[in-house]
This record gives sequence, structure tokens and C-alpha cells, in this order.
Amino acid sequence: MPIPGIPVLEGKYFATMDFYPIEAPEFNRISKFYENLAQKKLTTTKCKKCGTTPFPPRVVCPECNSDELEWVELADHGKVLNLSEEVAGVPLGFEAPLIHAIIDLGNGLRMLSRIVNCPAGQLKEGDEVKLFVFSIPPMIMDIKEGTKESPRVFFAFEPVKK
Amino acid sequence: MSERQVCMIGGGMSQWGRRSASLVDVVQEAAKACFDDIPGIKRKDIDGFLFASSYCGRNPFQVNAAPVMAERIGIKPLNMCSRVDTLCAGGSSAIILAAGLVKAGMADVVAVAGGEKLYTPQMWEAYYSEMASIDHDWDAPHGMGLPGPFFAMTAKDHMKRYGTKKEHLALVSVKARRAAAVNPKAQFQKEVTLEEVMKARPIVPPLTLFDCCPITDGASMTILTTPDRAKAFSNHPLVYIRGTAQATRHSMSANWPGEDLADWVHMRTAVKRAYEVARVKASDIDVAQTHDCFTISELIEAEELGFCKKGEGGPFIAAGQTDIGGRIPINTDGGLLGVGHPFGGTGIRQGMEIMKQLQGRATRQVKGAKIGLTHNLSGLNVEHTVLVYGLEP
Repeated sequence: MPIPGIPVLEGKYFATMDFYPIEAPEFNRISKFYENLAQKKLTTTKCKKCGTTPFPPRVVCPECNSDELEWVELADHGKVLNLSEEVAGVPLGFEAPLIHAIIDLGNGLRMLSRIVNCPAGQLKEGDEVKLFVFSIPPMIMDIKEGTKESPRVFFAFEPVKK
Repeated sequence: MSERQVCMIGGGMSQWGRRSASLVDVVQEAAKACFDDIPGIKRKDIDGFLFASSYCGRNPFQVNAAPVMAERIGIKPLNMCSRVDTLCAGGSSAIILAAGLVKAGMADVVAVAGGEKLYTPQMWEAYYSEMASIDHDWDAPHGMGLPGPFFAMTAKDHMKRYGTKKEHLALVSVKARRAAAVNPKAQFQKEVTLEEVMKARPIVPPLTLFDCCPITDGASMTILTTPDRAKAFSNHPLVYIRGTAQATRHSMSANWPGEDLADWVHMRTAVKRAYEVARVKASDIDVAQTHDCFTISELIEAEELGFCKKGEGGPFIAAGQTDIGGRIPINTDGGLLGVGHPFGGTGIRQGMEIMKQLQGRATRQVKGAKIGLTHNLSGLNVEHTVLVYGLEP
């Protein structure tokens, strides 16, 4: 199907319109995060010199400037500290109500995440949630022989069934 | 040699709202209003230009916008011509940078413009593009674009910790709309009642329609120069930029620096620094324009600026202390909630309202105002910017 108004763009992939990260190793140096995520592991980088473990992952330690980092696993369960359910103004690609939560993952890490597999009005503060990994549309890139599809995953959290 | 001082001498804005106009159109309108406001200045006097815009590269598809805007306006800067972007605080960033150029003697007469064309021919794109506003790789994939959900959680934390009520939030909106109703450039020209605000449709509870600033097309422009040049250009009292600060600690939701979302540590850092540089304290401030992107924001800002005690923002607003005649009138021209929020244009709009208040020519004048301030937050509340203006340097 031609793209209305801009037929020359038919069949093209728009990195500038993609709300998911460009995960392929050709385009970033933290692609291991996404490889680990595909194995259902939430990870980040830890500095081998000073032990600093920031999230999101880095390529250089923001504390000691070392570039010797290793991948470590983060908790895949957490507790809901606060939540919201957006009913209007939800961006294309997401459905209302769009649920967000601030999750305490322990060790001082609080993360904002979408909550999925959860009916409206059910989630409460203090609820336990667990990592949920899902496939997202592949990223398309040009290679010598034509184009290549690079598979991708992303994550959200979901309620732990009581 | 003593340090050069810098003054804001005048300015103007385009009509703000959902405009049948392009970005270059609204910027020209703002420039016209600015030059009309300072009859003594000519286009050829401008030797520096900063243009604050976040979405020029996205919605109107125009990167490196500063030379384009300079050409359309008809100015030929020779010392500086550059774009500035800190999203919601871009206009304030540009004023700070322009003040630095003037103080350093690297430019003498700097025009600072800012604005956005946010409405796209199909509205999905305007909302969708907002996912470029935050930490793209880590927050956008969770469907975080317009930051309503983040501020809804902020409101919930403030309510839980301090007993703040939905009515307190609603009063911020009622006050903003009352001011905007007499501001001919404002997006909203109609007052709203407390009942209307309380009954409005939910966006992301507890925030309803009138708790959220709108999407806005529009631009503003002001001119900064030395006191000597200012006196030659204009008969209005000189308004000095006394002190500024811009503080950031994190880029994404995961590294929020406060105890909870109602605890704005990074804002206190910026406020403390700006007050130090300006040699003022909270009680010296006569009028303030703060970043009311959501009603809860203005309430917390009143606290973090030191106008009331932490946690007492709700009762402070309910008692009319942030209205004209109260302890510290806030958002006297209608704020983001009433005038609108074309990101790069907002800090300049705020600065111009403070300038007019100190010059004694504001539409809703605060009697005898001598010191005023502006405040912006940016994005998912990652950065805070404060400027203190005064009739004395």
C-alpha cells in the first residue's frame, strides 16, 4: 500500500518514527542488554573497577571513567510504589487504559514501566509484579544483498497472580 | 573593569493556540510584536540571535532552524546565530545564554526567539512524536510521551503524603483561566468554574482535562542588551537579569532523585543557586511565572521555591496566596494552563510577563513589583531552570 501523501516511502522502515530502540549490534554498544532480555533476563552493566552498577547500562563507568564493564542481572520481581492509568491521549501503538507504575526492584533501583496483562482498576500500591518480555516488530536495515530483518524484544511488568 | 550587566528591554508574542499558520509564520508574528514593543530598535541593531525550539526538527521537519528564522525575520546577526533546545525550558535556556553573551561582551543586542508548530495535519503524529521528548530508548517503549502519567503519580504522592485534595489542583486551573481570559494572545480566552474543572473528563486520574496544559502553536521574541543600549532603545524602566540556574540530575524515570515524586530535589538545587547568584531570598520575590504544565506542578513549585512550607502548597493556593493581592502572585498572564505551551516559546513568554510586571505595564499588574522570577521544568521532570529578574542589577 502506498503511503498517503508520500508514495516514495512505500515499504520503507522509519527509524525516526520508531518508539522502540534500534537494538541491533550494528547500531549500539549495549545490544547485549537486548540479547539478555530475549533470554528473559533484565540486566545492566557493572564497573569491574569500582563496582558502580547504574541503570540504564553504559559503555563507560560514570563514576570512575573505566570502560571495563560486565553484565549483571537485576531483579525480575518488584513491588509497585505508585501507578497511573491513562485513559486519554494515549499514543498510537498503545491502548487505553495505559497503565504505568513506579516499581521498586531493590538495591535502590526504582523503575518506571508499563504494566501489561492487567485489567483496568485492578492494580494497587504494594502489589508484586514480575518481568514480562515480548517480541516487537523487527528493525529493517540495508545490507549489501538487500535488506535484513533484525528481530527485537522489549519488556514490561505484569501482576504476579495471587 | 566591572562586569557588564544585561537587561530585557521588551518583547512580544504571536497569537498562541491551534494556529492556521506555519512555524516561520508565527516566528515572524512574534518578531513583529517584539519590534512594535520597542520602537527605538531597528532590525540592523541585532547582532546576536538565539532560537529556542524542540520540535522544529520533527513536526515542521526543519533542523538548523536559526538561520531560517533570522532570514525570515530580516535580521543579520554577526556574533551568534544558533538554535537552543531544552524542550519545555528552551526559551529560558536561550535567555540565560544570551545574557552570558551580552555580559561577556561577545554580543551587544541579542534577539531571543522561541516557538513551535506542534499541530500536524493528522493529530496522531503530534501525540506520537511526543515519544521523542523523553529518554527515548528507556521511557518511550513504555508508551511514555506526553508526561501526564508521571505527573498523575506525582499528584498521588503529594495527596498521600500531605493530604492535598483534587480541589486544590482545580483552583490552580481556575486561576490560570481567569488570567488567560484577559490575555488576548492566550490559547484559552474563557474562564472556567471550579465545578467545571472538577467535573471535567479524566485524562489520567487524578488529572482531568483542565489539569493539563494544551498542545500549542506559537512563538515569542524578546531582546537583551546592556543598560546603556537599553536606555537608548526604550523609555521603560530597566529590568536586569540578576541570577540564573539550571540543574539536572537524571535523564529518565528510573533515576528519579527524590524520596517520592512529590519531592523535587533538583528543583531545590536550582532555586538555591539562582537565589544565591541573584542575592535574594524567597520572601524578596514579588511575582513569579512558574511551570504549570500540570496543576500539581504549580502547587509543588510554590513549595520548592520557598513561598510556603513543603506540603502546604494546597492550602496556600486555596487561601488565594498565589493570586493577585496574595503573598506571591503566580502565573499572572495565565501560565501554561491558560496561555498554552509551545515549548521553546514558554520561557520567553514568562520572562516578558515578569519584565512587564517590573516595568509596571502588565495587564494584571502586581502593585510595586521590584523582583520577579521565572521557572521551567523540562520533559519528564528531569531539569529545572530558574531566572531572577529585578529593577536593580
